[in-house]
Order: sequence, then C-alpha cells, then structure tokens
Amino acid sequence: MAQPAGLLYSKDHEWVKIDGDIATVGITDYAQASLGDIVYVELPRMGAVLTQFGNIGVVESVKAVSDLFNPIGGEVVEINTGLEADPALLNREPFEGGWLFKLKLADAGEQSNLLSPDSYEALIAEA
Amino acid sequence: MIGSDETMRRTALWEAHRALGARLVPFGGFEMPVQYGGGILQEHDAVRKAAGVFDLSHMAQFELRGPGVGAWAEALTVNTVATIKPGGARYNIFCNAAGGALDDVIFYRLDGERWLLVVNAANAAKMWAHLTAHPGDGVELTNRHGERALIAIQGPKAAEILSGFVAADIAAMKYYTCLETTVRGVPAIVARTGYTGEDGFEIFVDSDYATNLWDALLAVRGPHGPYPCGLGARDVLRLEAGMPLYGHEMTEEIGPIQAQLNWAVKLSKPAFIGKDALAAQVAAGDFSRIVGIVLDGKVPARAGYPVLVDGHVAGEVRSGSLAPSLGKNIATALVPAAAASVGASLGVEIRGTIHPATVVALPFYKRAT
Repeated sequence: MAQPAGLLYSKDHEWVKIDGDIATVGITDYAQASLGDIVYVELPRMGAVLTQFGNIGVVESVKAVSDLFNPIGGEVVEINTGLEADPALLNREPFEGGWLFKLKLADAGEQSNLLSPDSYEALIAEA
Repeated sequence: MIGSDETMRRTALWEAHRALGARLVPFGGFEMPVQYGGGILQEHDAVRKAAGVFDLSHMAQFELRGPGVGAWAEALTVNTVATIKPGGARYNIFCNAAGGALDDVIFYRLDGERWLLVVNAANAAKMWAHLTAHPGDGVELTNRHGERALIAIQGPKAAEILSGFVAADIAAMKYYTCLETTVRGVPAIVARTGYTGEDGFEIFVDSDYATNLWDALLAVRGPHGPYPCGLGARDVLRLEAGMPLYGHEMTEEIGPIQAQLNWAVKLSKPAFIGKDALAAQVAAGDFSRIVGIVLDGKVPARAGYPVLVDGHVAGEVRSGSLAPSLGKNIATALVPAAAASVGASLGVEIRGTIHPATVVALPFYKRAT
C-alpha cells in the first residue's frame, strides 16, 4: 500500500503537507488503523507555538490514550474544529477531512528531518 | 505479572482469530484478541443489538468433585455455595484474611458432586495455589486451565442463534443456570451467564470442537451480527453494565464491601476467610468505596487518574471509557464514603485540567426487559 505522495511523514505516524509557509498536519492511515475507533482528539490551541517532535496533544480510542507529536515547528493558525463533534473523521479520512491543524512554519529546513512516502512505507512495513 | 520472555499460550481459536483479522495482545498469559477488524464500537453494538461471540478459553476452569465441595467452598468464599442446586450457578469472591479480594469467580454445580469453578486468567496460578493450600475433606480438585474451550454468545439474539445448535431447550433456562447437553452433537456445558449486561450463554466445549462451534455461530449472520468480539468490547460492555473487573474495581487491597458487592457477602455465614475484616468494615462504615461516575464533556477518564473532592485529591479512577450506549464518558472511581452518594460532585484530573463529574447509580446501562 503506497502512502499518499506530496506529503512528508514522521516516525510517530504524522503527516505534513507543505503549501508555501503553511503546513497542514494529520495522522496517517496506519496510525488511525492502529488506534482503532477514535473518540476524542485534544489539539493545541490557536496561536500556540510548537516545536518539531514535541508532544502537543492526545488522540483517544475507546480503550487507550495515545500521545500526539508535532511533526514540524510553527505557530498554530487553524484548527480542524470538525473533529470535536466527529472525532471518527480521523478514522474515515485520515489524509483528507481528518487533518488536525495548520501551522505557519518556523523553519522550512526542518522538513529534512521528515520521511518521504517511500521511506515511511518502509518504516511501517517493518512494524 | 507476565514477563516479555514468557511464552504466550494460545487458545484453540487462535487460528480463527488470526483469520478474522484480530489484533492479538498478551492477556492472562494467553495471546488474546483485543479487537477484530470492524473495531470495538461495532462489536459493542453487535452485542447490544443482536449478538457477539467471545473466546474466553483463557479463563481458568477448575473441576471440583466430591460430597465436601459445598462446605469446603463456603469457608473460603464470601457467598453461599452449598445451597446452589444442581444446574445452578453463583457469583462469588475469594478473600484474604484482611478482606481484600483474591479473585471473583463463578461456581457452576453440574450435579450433586461435580462442580466447575471459573476464575480469572490473570489469577489462575494464584487461585490454584490458594485452593490446593486449603484441602478439604471429600473434595477433589483438577486444574483444566487451557484444556477446554469457553465460548460466549451474548446479546438479545443469543438464545435464538444458539438454540439452533443445542439439543436441550436453552430458551427455557433461567439466568445463572447451567446444564450438560450436546452442541452440534458434541458434549458441552451450556450456562446462561455472561459479562456484558445482555442475555447470553457461555459454552464449555472440548478444544477440538471449538473452531467448529465458533465458525457455526458466526455463520448465522443478521444485520447486526453476530460479530466476533474481543476483550476491548468485553471491557466496555461490562463497565456499562456496572460489573467489576478484577484488578480494577476489586484487588487484594479493594475488597468486595468496598466494591459495593454487599449482596454477595453473606456475613451471616458462620466463618469464612476475610469475614472478620469485612464485618469490621461494614460496622465502621467509613471505608472508601467504588462508585460510578459520569463526566461532563468529551474527555474520557482512564484508570489511575486522580479524583478530587472539594478541590483535593481524594481518590482515583479505576476504569474509564466512552460508553457507546450512553454517548457519555463513564468511569468507576474509588472515593471516600462522604463523596460516594449518588449526585455528589467530583472532579477528575486529566492531563492537568479538572473535569467535573457526578456520582450516579450503577449500572450505567440496563437492558430493556
């Protein structure tokens, strides 16, 4: 199963889509499938300044709490408010409607710490 | 408890679980399905609306035999045993001398002298040691842990589905009864017991026939199941039904009175291990106890989170989950007596934030009868 092209990936199973100086962040299909039915998502607040790979919230399935790590540094400029009413969006559309938040990038160079679709695919193939 | 180097045992249904896409996790020394491909919510709904099928072969089955079983067991447990009639079943708890719980169990009486005792998998070794350390006159014990399969079918359609496979008239069985019959022509014990808050049955059958029965039950497919259900759904279902889980609502430190299981503790019995401590607890009355709570808001509470009374940490969450039947976050908590009344306001600390919660009467969910 190929990972969506045009995205960068973290070892913690988040994805990033870069568009100019704005990064959209989400969790991967592998992550949502591993978590199971998602019932609650705790996201950072608007305006929060996040560092790369910092712990920035949680995703909770019926049975478990999992930490959410931020794949790239920046300031939160938009939150996916739809997740509050419908956290299962993360299960249904992890790469589309289930995006988590958008960041104004602090340092575009941090992209080099992330994985290509092929490298991420290789990572989860080992798991 | 279970070291990572310990070899995980497999039930007779292990291959079937793999084929169904189960996620297998270590539980009580066995590699058990926590959920299947459709997820915990689908499994939960199947049991509430139609039926779910569970592999419980990891639970320990001890055979008890002899004229002395009833009297022997009465001295080791909090509930009555000798008064169980042949074909009956009864919930019970083994305690230590301090009144803490060693395990919660079910006694099944097959006939005058043959009994089956089912204990939690995680406590199997401890309980076997406890029983054999207290030998009784006219009591033979045989440890059948892992030797015979146990399959549960639970849900409003359970009786209808299972009836097609059982020689005996199971629809006529009362709750907490058992009988020896044949299932698909194979000798089996069928009990009308369960751990989900729904009607249902538990079927003890030779391991060699487990896959055959499992597949046959799952082949009866209606709009809501039966689906195979894992330990994840089982935990959510039992929590909604207000049923204790050993290690959470009861431990060697949290006894049956604290777990609010007074109905099962027969202090009128002449003597049993833990009686003095439990009687003293009841007399004093100021013990911390298990309550059901419902949280405001969408953040689930989890075992171990601090519980606040009047702004101070005074207890802790013992189990917590979203309750799909209620659409609310529910939990059990161990709290001081003064904070245990229905309607009492508590706080649950979740990642540094205090979330309001209210004590409610158990169970959280009760099926329509």
